[in-house]
Amino acid sequence: MKIIQLEHVSYSFYDIVPALSDVSLSIEEGGMVAVIGANGSGKSTLLQIMSALIHPQAGRVFFRGEEVTEKRLHDREFQRFFRERVGMVFQNSDVQLFCPTVFDELIFGPMQLGISEEQALRRAAETMELLNIEYLKERPTHMLSGGEKKRVAIGSSLTMNPEVLLLDEPASGLDPKTESFLTDLVISLSESGKTIVIATHDLELVDHLQPKVAVLSEEHRIEKIGTVGEILRDRDLLVKVNLIHEHKHRHGKKAHTHQHSHYFFHDHAVSGEHDGTHKRSRDKRDKQHEH
Amino acid sequence: MTFVDKSIKKIAEIIKSSYVYWETSEKNGLFQKLDPRLKVIFMIYFIVIISLLRNVYIELAMAVFIFALIVLSRLNIFYMYKRILTFTFFFGFLIALPSAFNVITRGEIVLPVATLSRSYHFWIYSVPKEIGITREGAFGVAMLSLRVADSIGLSLLIIHTTPFFEIIRGLKVIRVPDTFLMIIILSYKYIFILVRTVEDMYLAMKSRLVGAVDAGTIRELIAGRIFFIFKKSQMRYEETYRAMVGRGFSGDIALYNFRAFTAADAAAALVLGAFGILFLVVQMCI
Repeated sequence: MKIIQLEHVSYSFYDIVPALSDVSLSIEEGGMVAVIGANGSGKSTLLQIMSALIHPQAGRVFFRGEEVTEKRLHDREFQRFFRERVGMVFQNSDVQLFCPTVFDELIFGPMQLGISEEQALRRAAETMELLNIEYLKERPTHMLSGGEKKRVAIGSSLTMNPEVLLLDEPASGLDPKTESFLTDLVISLSESGKTIVIATHDLELVDHLQPKVAVLSEEHRIEKIGTVGEILRDRDLLVKVNLIHEHKHRHGKKAHTHQHSHYFFHDHAVSGEHDGTHKRSRDKRDKQHEH
Repeated sequence: MTFVDKSIKKIAEIIKSSYVYWETSEKNGLFQKLDPRLKVIFMIYFIVIISLLRNVYIELAMAVFIFALIVLSRLNIFYMYKRILTFTFFFGFLIALPSAFNVITRGEIVLPVATLSRSYHFWIYSVPKEIGITREGAFGVAMLSLRVADSIGLSLLIIHTTPFFEIIRGLKVIRVPDTFLMIIILSYKYIFILVRTVEDMYLAMKSRLVGAVDAGTIRELIAGRIFFIFKKSQMRYEETYRAMVGRGFSGDIALYNFRAFTAADAAAALVLGAFGILFLVVQMCI
């Protein structure tokens, strides 16, 4: 069943700067979709439209078959129905963390939805355990590191127990350990039945999560939708949308220039098999990129 | 060091001191354990009492009482009294000092300072022949300085034993609406975030300025940065609003309530209340 559906959506900032142009996309319930594209292609705008934080100037957005409009969201009942089912994690965690402490942050959503205090407290405790942030409970949110902020930002959406989780550039600026924690978390959430939509330009993350992939072009249109293998093997497409590029780098003492995606093709991406030895390794990646 | 350098250094110090406040408020002392609502009421109650006291010795006893609370809360006494005395000196003693002289406060001179050839009179003012500090004037200065010291001591005690946000939430007890509290909390947080941006921006600018740059260019650069900060604040507010809406905000804020008062809180309320009454009773008896 389609949980989110966008039909011919267009959006521009101040009616001048285009952000999305005639975008149509469907998200299946329980599925995982990655929206990839270069900086400025409209990924974040697309996620904000999906979460009805901004509304398209043209086109229509549906959630579980019901059209989501600004007017409909004025209806408190529909607003609650929608907000408790669709959670969004912003790229900039500082924006999302506006409460005094980590605990307040986690409990904010459930409190606004009018969930009982007992249940809200239980959700906050479970989320802290899931994200290993119990030790941060009383800490003011402006005194957290980048990785901690990201965990709390994700936690603040998870306490609302949404059916759909929209993640905007979730891995940007994270250290490798936090990034791998995040990858595991997203996979677990997906396995537990949540619908996940990720906006990213990190092809390695896409490779790890193996979602359905929608590619946004620099003209703000959906260029192609397909599996990870179909998209990442399409060199012309990736060059066109500016996700792979040519640059100089070193092999031992020699430096040379060639197309480079900062991504290596795992066996499963090519053949559809997975040997279970998925490991991120810069050395391996550098050895295997295509010349 | 330029003015801008000094300002940036001060800003960094403010951030550091906020971290110190937060750390000390986590210590396991007497006041740290109390409910923030109780501390807010205690602060208002005692500031009223301090301003009602008319006897310098009772005001001094109040200072000793506050000192005892600071010690029991395991705060750094040297750090606390450096601040209390600095504030008291500038905002209590120095301001009140002229009133110690017989030019302003008439009375018995206990410390002569200068003798003029004759006394002077002008409109409603008069300067006596002998100028000095009067007993009444000295008591007035002592009284005002002690009041300032006691009020600052009390405020610092609360600030250093309660995280800032808990103090704000403690205002719930005097029926301040949640939405208003949320506005204070957001403003406080974004001061920190923007301060960091300003600091980074200034350092980035400094790293690219080589040699002497004329004041006009500097003013132009800073004016441009101020505008940038203004735009950035506006964008951040819009994004934060969206993040709030995304988490169910629909106009009314509901903040999480405090835990119930414990027996220890009730006992502390009784003891502190009794001390306040004791000060007033002694004042009336003298």
